[in-house]
Amino acid sequence: MSDALVLELKKLIIETLKLEEVTPEDIEDGGRLFGDGLGLDSIDALELVVALEKAYGISIPDSEVGERVFRSVNTLAQFVKEQSIDKK
Amino acid sequence: MKYDETGLRVRFNEVDSWGMVWHGHYISWFEVGRMALLGKFHLLPKDFTQMGYIAPVVDLKCVFKEPARLDEEILIRTTVLRPTKAALTFRFEVLRKSDGKLLASGEETQVLLTLDGRMLYIIPQNLRERFQPLFDYLEEPDSPA
Repeated sequence: MSDALVLELKKLIIETLKLEEVTPEDIEDGGRLFGDGLGLDSIDALELVVALEKAYGISIPDSEVGERVFRSVNTLAQFVKEQSIDKK
Repeated sequence: MKYDETGLRVRFNEVDSWGMVWHGHYISWFEVGRMALLGKFHLLPKDFTQMGYIAPVVDLKCVFKEPARLDEEILIRTTVLRPTKAALTFRFEVLRKSDGKLLASGEETQVLLTLDGRMLYIIPQNLRERFQPLFDYLEEPDSPA
């Protein structure tokens, strides 16, 4: 996984959700983003979907896909990478 | 953004022992306003269900400014923001009809789920088309519903 992409995604999460007291270093690459991980909720997921579509042109249609993609920053980075390859 | 208006009169069972409307009833008044607005555009819960969706509330807030009292006429003003994500955010104002005093204001967010429990992260085209007349109405200040 590209470290640059992982860092970029962490920054996108922080900026999109205005997590003012969180730094990229606070987010573990493989740590859970929702629930007892970073503590994001369903509305946060909707905000992230919009930001990811804007930044990378990727589409996450529903929670069935979202639960897999938003498991961690690593799984999100993997999805962004796969979708970008598919579009090339 | 225009607000849709509907009215009601405070009922005996809505006031507490201090003679003021119990705070929880404002939430059901929001529901009255929401149904009045959505009903004009055939977007009631049964219409959502027929399209294969439900829209549960995930966030709700209410600010209480002045008490409503028994038998007062109340205006409920309701609007919904054009979605920037796959959620509907309604705003409400509750006013005393006699003097236009703002009694409470609130906001409520609903997300969209399929009937089998999948949460939508993107509003599907068929729903966008169904919402369009609602937003057109709310964004045109003088248009009749």
